[in-house]
Amino acid sequence: MKLASARFALFSLGQLLVLGGLALLPVVDLVFPSLQFAAPSRTVIVFAIMALGLNIVVGWTGLLNLGIAAFTALGAYAFGILTCEIYPFQVGFWWGVLLAGAFGAFAGWLLGAPTLRLRGDYLAIVTLGFGEIVQDALKNLEAVTKGTQGINPLPAPTLPGLQFSSETHVRWFYLYLAILAVVVFLCRNLEFSRLGRQWFAVREDELAARCMAIEPDKAKLKAFAAGAALAAVSGALGASLLSSTGEPGNYDFQVSILALCIVIVGGIGSITGVLIGSIVMVGLNVILLPLLTQTLQRNGIGSTGNVLTSPDNYKYLLFGLALVLMMRYRPDGIIQTRKATRK
Amino acid sequence: MSATADSATLPAASLLTVRGIVAGYGSVEVLHQVSLDVREGEIVTLIGGNGAGKSTTLMCISCIVPLRAGEIHFAGERIAAADGGIRADRLVSRGLVQVPEGRRIFPRMTVLENLMMGAYTRNDKAAIAHDLERVYTLFDILKKRSAQLGGTLSGGEQQMLAIGRAILSRPRLLMMDEPSMGIAPLLVAKIFEAVRELNRGGLTILLVEQNARAALKLAHRGSVLETGRVILADDAKRLLDDPRVRESYLGE
Repeated sequence: MKLASARFALFSLGQLLVLGGLALLPVVDLVFPSLQFAAPSRTVIVFAIMALGLNIVVGWTGLLNLGIAAFTALGAYAFGILTCEIYPFQVGFWWGVLLAGAFGAFAGWLLGAPTLRLRGDYLAIVTLGFGEIVQDALKNLEAVTKGTQGINPLPAPTLPGLQFSSETHVRWFYLYLAILAVVVFLCRNLEFSRLGRQWFAVREDELAARCMAIEPDKAKLKAFAAGAALAAVSGALGASLLSSTGEPGNYDFQVSILALCIVIVGGIGSITGVLIGSIVMVGLNVILLPLLTQTLQRNGIGSTGNVLTSPDNYKYLLFGLALVLMMRYRPDGIIQTRKATRK
Repeated sequence: MSATADSATLPAASLLTVRGIVAGYGSVEVLHQVSLDVREGEIVTLIGGNGAGKSTTLMCISCIVPLRAGEIHFAGERIAAADGGIRADRLVSRGLVQVPEGRRIFPRMTVLENLMMGAYTRNDKAAIAHDLERVYTLFDILKKRSAQLGGTLSGGEQQMLAIGRAILSRPRLLMMDEPSMGIAPLLVAKIFEAVRELNRGGLTILLVEQNARAALKLAHRGSVLETGRVILADDAKRLLDDPRVRESYLGE
């Protein structure tokens, strides 16, 4: 339950704690130079933005989208085409990110318009198919997308008087954290807006929503576009981070499922939950496991050559175990929003 | 019943006119030439058995099921006809509000949030607060449960919530689809009493019911729907005494 007065604050307490906790990571790096949390945490932020987009669709509007990675891919490639030196546009980092988001919204609207009348499982299958089609299209439109090479090099962020490069990853981390904070702020405002209430009403009961003068199809379309826009922004940020769109296979079904797992493990419908979910799920992958590998290797136990002692090989085992434990002990996610109740 | 006011004293202005509507689903025609009118300030009930077309009639009035023939006028405006009508989501702001069958509250919203969804199209804060007070006076249990999730209420309480939510849409005509369905008799009496109270306050009501006796006792006028046709339309008192109604719908 949220207090009526709390909605006028910039962030909720939970959101503030998570964002504040993330902001402390570079300090931890300073104190323990062997850790280096900040650089890989940029990836956590990129995924968090994608998952926040998915949360609008799945968590708030109740539509199962299994192809969110397609919109991430479209965002990354839009950013690539708009900013890479081999294309004539070269609009720069900021315009690239914004236009990628706008393009994502348009793509979400385009996919949504003919398909959102489908219900439940059928919509899930369409979004799944869309995810595959986008990958194949990007792979085969070689003239535009450079096929499996990906588009590169791509620009790092720019700010007046500040340089962003691989040497200044702390600065880069703080910039991405600031972007995440803006996204969280936007999501939070959406949650309490008229549009947010439309989405919740549609999720709860479409017919009843109709009786309240809400048009479910329009509300769903807006959710789809908003979710796709955030996914595309995350794609653009990720591409800038890699200085490349990467190959289309980087945006496969696994990525969509990871985003869905973030939302579900974190707590479906909760912004704080999605943030924590990103830290847990992506952090495990990009921070904890490499750290473990490093530590083991330093102590002469593990080597990448040895299958059994390389922690990376236990990734999916841990992943599966975590999901099973969650299902058993905390089925509503780490941060529980309102429990589903009998109808 | 004292509240079954003499229809002669009512203003004659017709708020809702349904004229010869034909509608159906796919190749099945459900309504064959249904006509009906509801005058300002009265309670009209539409009774009939399962599959008679009661709910379809309401769906037509709500512009959700398209008409194949006929016309529907509300407050002097043609809202539905065979060649199209206005969009369903525009009806609420015109004052045509439906309490859907089976309650359909929002289970994971609190009682208060549910009620405020009713005021979704409005932004007259003072009047909304006033209407909220009215709902709380009508159903005091909702006030007690205002912070509770809608899904945790009992069936009868959910029905009260659904009615309260509709009141917050500020209806001129409230259409109710089987408000007594699946609810304990004691609560049914309470809900019907509330409907009467709302009507006394000037609200026009179209009540669809299977519970014919209770509905006819409450209403001023009634229509009997049978396999998609209105077979009887009369003063509610006279319908209660009509041998055909008594035999088919009152179990006598």
